[in-house]
Amino acid sequence: MEANPPLPAPNDLAATWAFLENGIDQIMNRLEEGLSYKRYMDLYTGIYNYCTSSRMNPGFASEPLAGPGSNLNNNRGANLMGSDLYQNLQRYLERHLFTIRENSTQYMDENLLRYYTKHWDKYTTASSYVHHVFRYLNRHWVKREIDEGRKTVYDVYTLTLVSWRDHMFMHVERHVMTAVLKLIERQRNGETVETGLVKSVVDSFVSLGLDDADSTKSTLEVYRDHFERPFVEASEVYYKAESEKFVSENSVTDYMKKAETRLAEEENRVKMYLHASTHKPLITTCETVLVKNHTDIMWDEFQNLLNMDKLDDLHRMYSLLSRIPEGLDPLRTRFEEHVRKAGLNAIEKIADQGGDTMEPKTYVDALLEVHRKYNDMVSTAFRGEAGFVASLDKFVNRNNVCKSSTSKSPELLARFCDSLLRKSAKNPEEGDLEDVLNNIMTVFKYVEDKDVFQKFYSKMLAKRLVNGTSASEDAESSMISKLKEACGFEYTSKLQRMFTDMGLSKDLNDQFKDRFSVEAGEPQVDFSVLVLGTASWPLQPSTTNFIIPEEVERTFQRFKMFYQNKHSGRKLNWLFHLSKGELKTNYLKATKTGYTFQVSTYQMGILLQYNKDTSYAFEELSQSTDLSPDVLSGQLGILVKAKVLLLSNGSSVGEPSSRYDLNMDFKSKKVRIQLNVPVKSEQKVEVEETHKTVEEDRKLLMQAAIVRIMKTRKTMKHVTLVQEVISQLSNRFKPRVPDIKKCIDVLLEKEYIERVDGQKDMFSYVA
Amino acid sequence: MTGAPEQRNVKLTSSEGTEFKVERDVAEKSVLLKNMLEDVGESDMAIPLPNVTGPILQKVIEYCIHHRDDPVPAHDDDTKKTDDIDDWDAEFCKVDQGTLYELILASNYLDIKPLLDLTCKTVANMIKGKSPEEIRKTFNIANDFTPEEEEQVRRENEWCEGR
Repeated sequence: MEANPPLPAPNDLAATWAFLENGIDQIMNRLEEGLSYKRYMDLYTGIYNYCTSSRMNPGFASEPLAGPGSNLNNNRGANLMGSDLYQNLQRYLERHLFTIRENSTQYMDENLLRYYTKHWDKYTTASSYVHHVFRYLNRHWVKREIDEGRKTVYDVYTLTLVSWRDHMFMHVERHVMTAVLKLIERQRNGETVETGLVKSVVDSFVSLGLDDADSTKSTLEVYRDHFERPFVEASEVYYKAESEKFVSENSVTDYMKKAETRLAEEENRVKMYLHASTHKPLITTCETVLVKNHTDIMWDEFQNLLNMDKLDDLHRMYSLLSRIPEGLDPLRTRFEEHVRKAGLNAIEKIADQGGDTMEPKTYVDALLEVHRKYNDMVSTAFRGEAGFVASLDKFVNRNNVCKSSTSKSPELLARFCDSLLRKSAKNPEEGDLEDVLNNIMTVFKYVEDKDVFQKFYSKMLAKRLVNGTSASEDAESSMISKLKEACGFEYTSKLQRMFTDMGLSKDLNDQFKDRFSVEAGEPQVDFSVLVLGTASWPLQPSTTNFIIPEEVERTFQRFKMFYQNKHSGRKLNWLFHLSKGELKTNYLKATKTGYTFQVSTYQMGILLQYNKDTSYAFEELSQSTDLSPDVLSGQLGILVKAKVLLLSNGSSVGEPSSRYDLNMDFKSKKVRIQLNVPVKSEQKVEVEETHKTVEEDRKLLMQAAIVRIMKTRKTMKHVTLVQEVISQLSNRFKPRVPDIKKCIDVLLEKEYIERVDGQKDMFSYVA
Repeated sequence: MTGAPEQRNVKLTSSEGTEFKVERDVAEKSVLLKNMLEDVGESDMAIPLPNVTGPILQKVIEYCIHHRDDPVPAHDDDTKKTDDIDDWDAEFCKVDQGTLYELILASNYLDIKPLLDLTCKTVANMIKGKSPEEIRKTFNIANDFTPEEEEQVRRENEWCEGR
């Protein structure tokens, strides 16, 4: 049973304090014995009675704290009792803490930490009781003092903390920190230690950070100055020594593992028992000591790891170096160089095998192979970082196959597309095709000269559509939508227009057939026509004249009339060199049913002459077809080679006065014979021409860009203008600066823009 | 472990020894009792309240029961308005002056801020709008000013009149 002394008289300070001190002492030292409701209430009531006594006893009315400024109190209204209690409590705490401090001197290291934290816990728990018991004082006297601006008066709990700080912490913190640092060092050395001790010390130091200006706020000052700083310094010393020793005895890859583990440990340490604000200074210091001080050896190791494809180690190196500023820069440069070399080697290998005629598929596959490998590496080891991704495009545009210019890559890529989308025995399955097309797009993204790709692609698409050799409409439109996604609507608008024309032509043919199957009773030539917009189709008119054979003349005229009636004012250009037909033989004895020749229109013009006679001289054919000599001899060459015609006079096709006889004994295993094959020499010319038109188009694009820019900016410096042009056109192709200069000169000459007088390299727009 | 803590009754003893049983959340309207119950913990012992008489404690408990579900007032909600007293509270304060003053003292002692505010506002309303003479009458105060003194006080306080 605890003693329950009677409540003291309200206005008797000595008796009241004696009564209170007894109770406080019990709370501070023997709380574990328990505290009864009555005792608690008596203590509270004792304080209440003392503080309210002034009104009953005017003699106590003025009771200021001693010291300067205290006469200010005379001006305020009611005076509140309490300063004596406060001061007595303050003195009690000082005495109490002095005892605790004295006893601490017998302890060291872990025992000291145990002593410190045990008493800290006990003290703060008790303080919270005392704070509550003194609540009446807090609510009135303390509140008034604080409202009046007195800096040295705190609420009771804060007073207990301030007292601990001044009479305990300040005297022992050095020894406590020494013990803490020793403990952490032992943990770093692999021992299991009681981390709860450190955590309690941290909590204590954090709680002691009291803002002098406003006691309700706390700062981390105490923790930062007395804990964090010595701790971070000790960490630096420890890891400096450890990392230097480790590096000298182990491989770089092992060191990286070590550093990674250590950094993770320290991150964890902060989470486990330090204040979160220590994360930054601690980790920054560790990064400097563990990573920054050893960057050179890591940079040197990078190439080895690349050569051996050590993804794990590469990833580790990336993670470590990404922690420090500029740590990754040398890696990016070296990786770019490495990928470029790998790409070039791969291309060189196939270039050696393929010689001049590079198979597009081989080329694209080789690019993809390299791309896939290093793309995987970037995403697994380098977290897909943009700086590394950028390394992948270097070998696509400049390599051994495209020695002279960057436009070879897009050409080969377009050819590869053509080979996939053209009807052939090797067409991949639909699902596979989609994958291959996606791969093409991967390469396409890196291609600089997207305009070259567009040119070749539309040429070959035109051919597929005109010749009806497109393998699948779905695949075609899938590819176009991919291109649209990558380059925008404008890039593919012509391609899409081409498909529209195909649809319109089909309707047109149906209408034409409906109309004339009724009208004409005579046998019809099976006839269809494609009407294609000049603007969208990359088709060139033929260079040669041609007389249409009379067998088809009537149908030809009829369609012309039909079309002019429908759309008056439109001009039809007939592209006979792209047309084709089928002829059926009935002059050959070898077969009863006859052969079907699939021929070009020019070949049809030639062969139909043989309905009248069986032998013609070159000059006669030239006259009757009106074909130019080189076209004629090219076509005859094919017919002679296929043995449909026989060269009877002269040693080679196309010679003056050579004769061509119809081969009456023509034989073939097939019923349908394809004679419409491209003439070799034509192909090469075509490729060169395409490249040439690309150049022309580029000039126009650059000029248009310059005019556009100048129109909005009015005046502009030469350098910025050039930069702007490059940035505007970069998704089409990479303009060369000399070319831009030439275009500027052209525009100056044409007076679209002019030089600004008196200012060097300054242009202005001429409206 | 149960979700909601079981409501235990708390025994309170008035100055003359009368025992009152209230539920814990009602008792905890008093910050004093709330802190103590949290510090010391629950027990079957009665809590002695040596500064509160039985009839006053009865009134205080009545108030606390009525307001048991009120939200805890925000820390610095020191609105000085005196016209926001609801009907129940006004009815609650219709008591003789002696009781009203004792309620003020009790709510101050027990640390029940809403009740302290209510009772003080009630007293303030008794003063509001009254002449010094009327106030003297209301509170039964003898006029101990000389006419000169009274004139001086009036002059000093001129600024707050006539608005």
